[in-house]
Amino acid sequence: MYSSKLANLFKEKRVAIGDTIRVEKADFAIEGELMPNTEAGSDSSIIVKMKSGYNAGILFDDKVRLEKVSGRKTKSEFPFAKPKADSKLPKVVIIWTGGTIGSKVAYGEGGVESTVKPEELFYYVPELPEIANISMNHLFSVWSQDLTYTEWQKLADAVAKEINAGARGVVITHGTDTMHYTAAALSFMLKNLNAPVVLTGSQRSSDRGSSDAFLNLIAATRIAAGSDIAEVGICMHASSSDDKMAFIRGTKARKMHTSRRDAFRAINDKPIAYVTLDGKIAYVGDYRKIGKSSAKVRAETKFEPLVALLKTHPNSDPEVMQYYLEKGYRGFIIEGTGLGHTPIDVAHEGRSWLPHIKSAIGESAVVGMTSQTIYGRVHPNVYAPLRVLNNAGVVFCEDMTPETAYVKLGWLLGNYDNERAKELLNKNIAGEINDRITYDEFLL
Amino acid sequence: MAKEGRVDDETRYKELGFMCGLEIHQRLATAKKLFCDCPAAIPENPEMLGTVSRFQRAVAGELGNIDRSAEFEELRGRKFVYMVPERNTCLVELDEEPPHKLNEEALDVALALAGSMNMHIIDELQPMRKEVVDGSDPSAFQRTVLVAVDGEIEVEGHRIKMPSIFLEEESSGIVSSKEDEITYNPDRLGIPLVEIDTDPYIPTPKAAKAIALYIGTLLRVSGKVQRGIGSIRQDVNVSIKGGARVEIKGLQEVDKLDRFVENEVLRQQRLLEIKELLKKSNASVDNAIDVTGMFRGSSVRIIANHLEKKGVAHALRLKGFKGLLGKEVNPDRRLGSEISDYAKMAKVNGLIHSDENLAAYGFSGKELEELNSRLGLEEGDAFIIIAGQKSNVESAVKLAIDRAKYALVGIPLETRGTANTELCTTKFLRPLPGGSRMYPETDARPILITKEKLKAAGTSALDVENEKKKLLAKLQNKGLAEQLLTSPKLPLYKAITASTKADPNFVANMLIQKFTELRRGGFAVDSIEERRLADLFSEYADGIITKQAVDELLKEMSLKKESVEDLIAIKRLKRISGDGLSALILDTQREAGKKMTADELRNVIMSKYRLNVDGAELNAMLSK
Repeated sequence: MYSSKLANLFKEKRVAIGDTIRVEKADFAIEGELMPNTEAGSDSSIIVKMKSGYNAGILFDDKVRLEKVSGRKTKSEFPFAKPKADSKLPKVVIIWTGGTIGSKVAYGEGGVESTVKPEELFYYVPELPEIANISMNHLFSVWSQDLTYTEWQKLADAVAKEINAGARGVVITHGTDTMHYTAAALSFMLKNLNAPVVLTGSQRSSDRGSSDAFLNLIAATRIAAGSDIAEVGICMHASSSDDKMAFIRGTKARKMHTSRRDAFRAINDKPIAYVTLDGKIAYVGDYRKIGKSSAKVRAETKFEPLVALLKTHPNSDPEVMQYYLEKGYRGFIIEGTGLGHTPIDVAHEGRSWLPHIKSAIGESAVVGMTSQTIYGRVHPNVYAPLRVLNNAGVVFCEDMTPETAYVKLGWLLGNYDNERAKELLNKNIAGEINDRITYDEFLL
Repeated sequence: MAKEGRVDDETRYKELGFMCGLEIHQRLATAKKLFCDCPAAIPENPEMLGTVSRFQRAVAGELGNIDRSAEFEELRGRKFVYMVPERNTCLVELDEEPPHKLNEEALDVALALAGSMNMHIIDELQPMRKEVVDGSDPSAFQRTVLVAVDGEIEVEGHRIKMPSIFLEEESSGIVSSKEDEITYNPDRLGIPLVEIDTDPYIPTPKAAKAIALYIGTLLRVSGKVQRGIGSIRQDVNVSIKGGARVEIKGLQEVDKLDRFVENEVLRQQRLLEIKELLKKSNASVDNAIDVTGMFRGSSVRIIANHLEKKGVAHALRLKGFKGLLGKEVNPDRRLGSEISDYAKMAKVNGLIHSDENLAAYGFSGKELEELNSRLGLEEGDAFIIIAGQKSNVESAVKLAIDRAKYALVGIPLETRGTANTELCTTKFLRPLPGGSRMYPETDARPILITKEKLKAAGTSALDVENEKKKLLAKLQNKGLAEQLLTSPKLPLYKAITASTKADPNFVANMLIQKFTELRRGGFAVDSIEERRLADLFSEYADGIITKQAVDELLKEMSLKKESVEDLIAIKRLKRISGDGLSALILDTQREAGKKMTADELRNVIMSKYRLNVDGAELNAMLSK
């Protein structure tokens, strides 16, 4: 945003974003299109796009003279394509929810626009209509860090509706940061699922020639249109190269890198399948297959938001649990250390989590234990302190990631009473617990 | 070609409507890269961690337009493989991590350069992305920043406006290139480059060369530039009245810049003449037909070979083009070569056209007759045949038709590269990019240039005259000093004279004159590492080798990788002097078995030990 001083000057000179202006300083002048001022730089810089395409920022002061040269030349319009529907191909619905895959740098009518319209993406990925008979459902455009359980609920309802209306599979474009939370939520919420539900996104925005969006979208569509997988999962790059994409079970996926294309990894699990550039699907893990059942998909979307995900660490203050209990929280997932430890040594006053855990359980809250090592299984017996926690009623969440355990507990408490939720927390419901972790399922 | 002596004929070029501007790119010798913390220096033998492969697509700029050169590259659909050198590449180069802060050290160099060209610094620099989809950057764009505008320099009486200086990232180097796959080494990717542009009003090719030399000197005087092959590159934009702007990219030898420019002028003149002739002959271009059947088992090997590999051959008529496809537009380049350049972009080996010696290709009379009738050729018509894999041939034919049709319109806007360094000719690389390929680098913040920053840059303003004075004080030969001043070897000279005790006159003479002589003799002296050159001059300064041996060793070093010490031992080039030389004189005398005159002794010794004995020392001893 421009400073109010500049905004007034533009008003006075009848200059709008996109107009060609001339900015004169003491001894030189610059001519070009007036661009919006983003939050990145000074709000007193007049940003001009010169004929060469370069932007330059001219700091405004009393000596700067500004004149309008001409009005906006052309309205910016991005190329787009409507996918042509081929009814002989399997019907795939793409549900659009926002994120990097749907963002671009663009100056629209006077502002910075951040949304790629689905049709624009189709222009760059002409392969899609050759894989499936595609239709679009633009559900919402939200950055994934801003998503809440209410969007998960909307999404689960939308997926169930599309499949019950005849979709062979569903692709969901989604921001990557919390994609694994959404994937876990859908895994628990969708009952009688008999079709592939594929979340995908990108680590490089789709306005870059190097974006991973194109291949991720193609691979996700291939899984939705051609696989016999009846599960929710995430389909993104399997390596830094544009060579194969992995489809990872929704309850076992985790974003393990801030920026790499192959950020999503199967934790304590293998990917279910890989999709290669030639379109082939190679199945490598066990999975639930599409069956003959004609039962409708049911979205059981009830969710208890009063669940906290807490991380213990050296010097951590356990009184934080008290804060949540006072607000009526019904569940806690602790991201402990190693095999599932939390500080319980009473020698350090006020540092033991044990009394707080006990008081939470005493108020019938459910307390689940996971590990911040991410990989591996927690264990209630190996060391005495673990046994102490276990005896206090903490549920050791096997090999679940902290995020999946969090989503699962919220879903359980939304649908069951505390007692039943506690019983089910470490029982497998949607592939979130793997009884056998094999040697190769580490840093995969 | 324009005759010597007319090159600086300003009137002649003015009449031609000659327009010419330069873009000079120079790698900076900063500690780190421009937008990440990898070292900017390139190691000699980097360890590779593996490779990463990618594809790129043309996307729209911030205003919604897709750049024509980007779209063209995408049509080629190539796979890009990137090597991953351990020391010089992090996730930023591999497009796996957002950029870090802009390198302040590089910015200071750019600000100092801007100051020395009387430019106006932009208050708030806006990092931009320039779309590049030839794969040379894994991110599919180059980060670039406009630093200053509106300067002026004076070179040999010409006042030249300097509209802009940019700070940008170097691209990756090509390791190998196959039909549909290019391998790059990103070790140099992201090294800071400055790009300095002139306005398009350079009056003559000779002035263009002089200005390029001057700017090169200015850059080297900054002391913060990398040296060695490829560290400085000149792009030249040329057009004449009725012609079109053509960018000749990546000229590395500034000495030949004027000849490249002259040839581009000539090419545009010839193409305009061809255009007029085509108009007169009512020329047009037909669509292609499939002639695969005709050439099965043909004795035209370059077609038959493709057909044996399930390829196809397509032919088309160029009505009224007869004689013009073979018309020379540049030394050893014809209109046919121009069209062939385009076809080759679609992965075919080239094309055959009817102005070539068809009998030499092995065409039979019957084949030509059948071709004539199938294409409906009449007097004055020409044809083109393209063979290869079906999809490639289809694209190649389309590209060739478009280029042939353009011969009737004029001269296409092109980016061209070197075709032949000896003849100074160029070939088509890709369409000239437009402004659509620029959009903001939103991952990097704008940089406010503070008064303090400007002050720091101002105090380090560069002075070419001062540098010249320093050289003249050290070197006896004024001409040599002036040559050195504008030579890319200046920093090398400074480094060697600073690190060894070698006589500056000798070093300058070797780097300028001897290097030119050896280069002409086919020795790749410019690729000798600076470290080995310093060793060489140090051995000479310490009296370990003679002057003549320095010549000999330069030749050896351009061919072999051994250390200077080893080469001296292998080639037995150690200097014989003092007691050793006295002993040699006595031995020579004794071997002859008779009394020899000083002249006789000198002749015998020098004919055998020319490279080991210093003539002056021998003379002094003999005269005793």
